[in-house]
Amino acid sequence: MDENDLNSDDEIAIDDDCYYDFFIKGDDPMDSEDAKSREGSGQKYTILNQADIRKRQEDVIAAISTVLSVSGATATILLRHFNWSVGKVHEAWFADEDVVRKRVGLLNYEKQLSDVNAGDRATCGICFDVYPRYRIFSVGCGHPFCRECWGGYISSAINDGPGCLTLRCPDVSCSAAADRDIIDMLALSDDDKKKYSQYLLRSYVEESKQIKWCPGPDCEYAVEFDAGGGGDDSWDVSCRCSYSFCWNCLEDSHRPVDCQTVSSWLSKNTDESETKIWILARTKPCPRCQKSIEKNGGCMHMTCNPPCRYEFCWICLGDWYNHETCNRYNEAADVEADKNREDAEKHVTKYTHYFDRWAANHSSRQKAIAEMQRVQSVQIRKLIETQGKAEYELLFITDAWEQIIGCRQVLKWTYAYGYYLPENEHTKRRLFEFLQGEAETGLERLHECAELELNQFLVDYGSPLEGFKEFEVKLKGLTMVTRKYFEKLVRALENGLSEVQVSGTEEIGQNFPMASAEG
Amino acid sequence: MANSNLPRRIIKETQRLLSEPAPGISASPSEDNMRYFNVMILGPTQSPYEGGVFKLELFLPEEYPMAAPKVRFLTKIYHPNIDKLGRICLDILKDKWSPALQIRTVLLSIQALLSAPNPDDPLSENIAKHWKTNEAEAVETAKEWTRLYASGA
Repeated sequence: MDENDLNSDDEIAIDDDCYYDFFIKGDDPMDSEDAKSREGSGQKYTILNQADIRKRQEDVIAAISTVLSVSGATATILLRHFNWSVGKVHEAWFADEDVVRKRVGLLNYEKQLSDVNAGDRATCGICFDVYPRYRIFSVGCGHPFCRECWGGYISSAINDGPGCLTLRCPDVSCSAAADRDIIDMLALSDDDKKKYSQYLLRSYVEESKQIKWCPGPDCEYAVEFDAGGGGDDSWDVSCRCSYSFCWNCLEDSHRPVDCQTVSSWLSKNTDESETKIWILARTKPCPRCQKSIEKNGGCMHMTCNPPCRYEFCWICLGDWYNHETCNRYNEAADVEADKNREDAEKHVTKYTHYFDRWAANHSSRQKAIAEMQRVQSVQIRKLIETQGKAEYELLFITDAWEQIIGCRQVLKWTYAYGYYLPENEHTKRRLFEFLQGEAETGLERLHECAELELNQFLVDYGSPLEGFKEFEVKLKGLTMVTRKYFEKLVRALENGLSEVQVSGTEEIGQNFPMASAEG
Repeated sequence: MANSNLPRRIIKETQRLLSEPAPGISASPSEDNMRYFNVMILGPTQSPYEGGVFKLELFLPEEYPMAAPKVRFLTKIYHPNIDKLGRICLDILKDKWSPALQIRTVLLSIQALLSAPNPDDPLSENIAKHWKTNEAEAVETAKEWTRLYASGA
């Protein structure tokens, strides 16, 4: 992706490079093996691969080891206990070293092996066999175990999971820690050592506050957010695996909508929608106790379940015993009886409206992602053949697809935003709907152009088709226009549509002349 | 006895269990499987199980001592940490197992569990509830069951 192309966009004042992060992803080539903090572009996060993570981990271990004058293995135990925070280790250690040592099982003495028989032999506390001293080990606490038993003990702990990181002496009453030097020395196999080291690495990511794994499928990268990041600004992260997500809540990227709205929306989707829609479509509330009733018999004489037992007419919801016929139209009664149901239905209709569009944009984005892969792997090749273009001359097509993918994401979340936008804030709603409509129309035109109009140029007629240049101009134009619309939409939503509050309706009239026409 | 590959640890433990049994506990290996033990525990004095003789089975899995022995009550017992299949809720038989523990220590712990039932960490919800809402009555039931099922007849 060409950064200059973006910077040439001078009609809209972009306040920082967040937009750049958002709309253009995958800009960091896979070949940058070092963790490269992209401060130059205003990015507040760093993508880390396994080697980067390990390096950071070794760095903090080395720092603690130097300051506290303890071994690297001891520093590891301390850091792991204090969630890999150098500050917390310092604080606790210098406040009361003995308390810390006791808590993590670090002895400050070395005890001789207990149970050493005559002739420097000792009995292993696990297999009860007697061994020469050099084959007996303890973690400084003096409890003697042979090499083989240590190996078995370590191996079963490692296979039990990450609990092996807090391994202690096998003696039940002893809390002396078995550190990673012991593991390295006594583990039975390289496989065990590898697993242990992997747990250690995972612990560094999972227990530290600044790093999180990318939730993308099969992704092995982690993302570090710089201290003080986020807040009012975006938490959006684009991983090198091409998955983009919100670092704060680990859901899909959801700019410009906040994490709280996303969480309410997603839980609404899972908890309520299906059951509620089903209930409303098939049931009526009992006129007395309001419980939902599904009609399972043929006649209209309904009897509510105990303890209510209210008997009523299914059609008019009137009391059965004061009921003769209800074929005659009674406007007043009708309005009264159906009012509650209508309210509830209206609610569901509203929810369905937003949900459908949210879901449609979600799946449209998934398809666009697949389509872009096809464009990159197949169609660009074909165009190079049929239109005689160089690869760099065709970048505008992938630009367009990246734009589509980014915009679908934004558009999807604006539907969750719209659902929660209070209905009585008429002016805000109007502005929101205007901006959303504008952006959506732009995006549909762009998406259609990228999807359909490209096809004609894929056929090989022996010579380049004439209209290609026009296609290029059109697609580039639509890409740019759509980007602007979405930037405007994102900015307005992130400001809480505050333009409205400050300036009132007249201002809207000036800035968005179509607003009143649409509203 | 066809137990040629029996680890020395098991042989030693068995010898010691037979030569110096713990008070109120007996454990002897089965004749055809040296990893399978028939166990008897006497109900501890001052407990609802006093006077009872409880039969258990104990099996040493292949991984023993890296994995805990499997122990189960064969005698019916009314106890909040023991279910109707005789399974026992005891930390050292699960996540707190250490290879430095032994058959002897396990059986002593089970004996202690009979003296001190722990309804806050129940295996049998009903019995635990009974224990918490009306301990005196629950203890009576436990005594009754001891008479009925563990009288050693």
